[in-house]
Amino acid sequence: MKQRHGSIANARLGNDPRGGLREITPLSILALDSLTKVYRDPMTLKPFTAVDGVTLSLTRGETFGLLGPNGAGKTTAIKMILGLANPTSGQVLLDGRDPRDPEARRRLGYLPENPCFYDHLTALEYLDFVGELFGIERGARKSRAGTLLERLGLGAHVKKPLRKFSKGMTQRLGLAQALLNQPTLLVLDEPMSGLDPIGRAEVKHLLREERAAGTTVLLSSHVLAETEAICDRVGIMKGGRLIEVGSVPGLLSSGVREWEVAVERLPERLAAAFRGEGHRVDAVGSRWIVRVTEGDALQDLLGRMNREGVFVHAVEPRRQTLEEHFMRALAGDGKVAS
Amino acid sequence: MRRVLAIARNTVREVVRERMVLVLALFGVALVAASQVFSPLAMGEGRKVVTDFGLAGATVLATMLAIFLGSSLLHKEVDRRTIYAVMSKPIRRSDFLLGKFAGLWATTALLLVGMTGIVLAVVTVVYQETPWVVLGALLLTLVELAVVTAIVVLFSSFTTPALTAFFTVATVVAGNFAEDLHYFGGQGGSAIVAGVTEGAYWLLPHLALFNARGLVAHGIAVEPERMAFAVAYGALYAAAALIAAGAIFERREFK
Repeated sequence: MKQRHGSIANARLGNDPRGGLREITPLSILALDSLTKVYRDPMTLKPFTAVDGVTLSLTRGETFGLLGPNGAGKTTAIKMILGLANPTSGQVLLDGRDPRDPEARRRLGYLPENPCFYDHLTALEYLDFVGELFGIERGARKSRAGTLLERLGLGAHVKKPLRKFSKGMTQRLGLAQALLNQPTLLVLDEPMSGLDPIGRAEVKHLLREERAAGTTVLLSSHVLAETEAICDRVGIMKGGRLIEVGSVPGLLSSGVREWEVAVERLPERLAAAFRGEGHRVDAVGSRWIVRVTEGDALQDLLGRMNREGVFVHAVEPRRQTLEEHFMRALAGDGKVAS
Repeated sequence: MRRVLAIARNTVREVVRERMVLVLALFGVALVAASQVFSPLAMGEGRKVVTDFGLAGATVLATMLAIFLGSSLLHKEVDRRTIYAVMSKPIRRSDFLLGKFAGLWATTALLLVGMTGIVLAVVTVVYQETPWVVLGALLLTLVELAVVTAIVVLFSSFTTPALTAFFTVATVVAGNFAEDLHYFGGQGGSAIVAGVTEGAYWLLPHLALFNARGLVAHGIAVEPERMAFAVAYGALYAAAALIAAGAIFERREFK
């Protein structure tokens, strides 16, 4: 199949007419253009829109987090990216190719949500099977399988039947099979699921290594704190639509909750005045912390402190976490482009 | 082709590691042994009884294995979601299906060859004569198994395991009587019945074509012309069933 550079490659930044965000980059490794999936109830034939006009592109080497509550359409979008489900309208391009073309999936690694593998095989047999599907030569696949199983902490379990694997071990094997072909695009559906804190830390480390090696990562997750720590950009899905997309610092910079002003020796008169204006004032050891929620009020407060000769030790903005931003975005269905 | 072989090898491994195969293999051995026990009752026709009974038993067991393992083979992949990781690899859906077919056929063929080998060994040891003509019947039964396996794969590409097993058993039974069905349909006088039986005659696999067991039990070899025609017919029928299965599976959505 020939490479196709259709409307996605030629598109520019703009708003999707149906309300979803539109964000296009010509040199993207993964591009979704107005991707829509409508299922029909087999009994009533009533349509249900699982994914609604999602437009997005991932540039090489970035780690992108797809967030959203259950039923937001993340997994359906991922299935269309992999060619497991066909779009009702719109299109997906994997490095310029339709994902239903097997060649498009040659450098793709995929970890399914709650993965399940052939339990009649051992870990080593399964990776050997996967290596054959990728067309990797016997020597290379044996060596890569051994290295990956060691790297993911399964070195002692290579000959154990998969039916005896715990959920965490299966998740690690899922990551190993996703990395076997040295992918340029890694699609991970809930990669932290089933892992203990040590396992999660190891996966975070592994994803950072992959990013450093230039691998593009698309991950969907419910674990927002870890997504915040790993991802360069995130997109938030709700009701099948991509309601927000942007860099993590970009999204969070628009959400400074308050400023903390740390001062030495705040006169009681001034502290009382600030309290009277609705600011929180606390004594912390020999210092005072004044918390201000509005930017204008901060300027006014700093000016008065300066006139009174109060020594300002530090002014620190307190930003919202990704989790707080996520909850606000879902509640407001806001469209904050960045 | 390499990917088809990988899927086929994995299917063989999956089926062989199921205990059902062992149970069926033991049952096959027991069947051959039983035919030997009862052969003295056949009044001088012991060799014929052992050969006929043994080959028929082997065919029925291999066919049952193909139907009952094959009917859940694809469904299990989707149900347990093992297919998601496999289909995200650079493999065509038709290659996956072909691999499943090849693996299942190879497993049932191994069982059939093994049981036929036992029949040959028993006859050779007991009657001091090796009925090599049995190999002709074996080849035809292997082609028959390919047809049955392709039909299982076709039904399993769009329906449930229970319906797959039901439809395949119905097709196999009707396929063994395709000629009779055609004959009696034409005798009734009703144009509708004649039309339906005519359609069924062309759609159903003519499985009687592959049955040379009675012939070889009497020591008569299968004629080369019949062999060539049956092999060509079986290959075409199986290919057509697999192409139809591939076309259906290509459109299938994995929810």
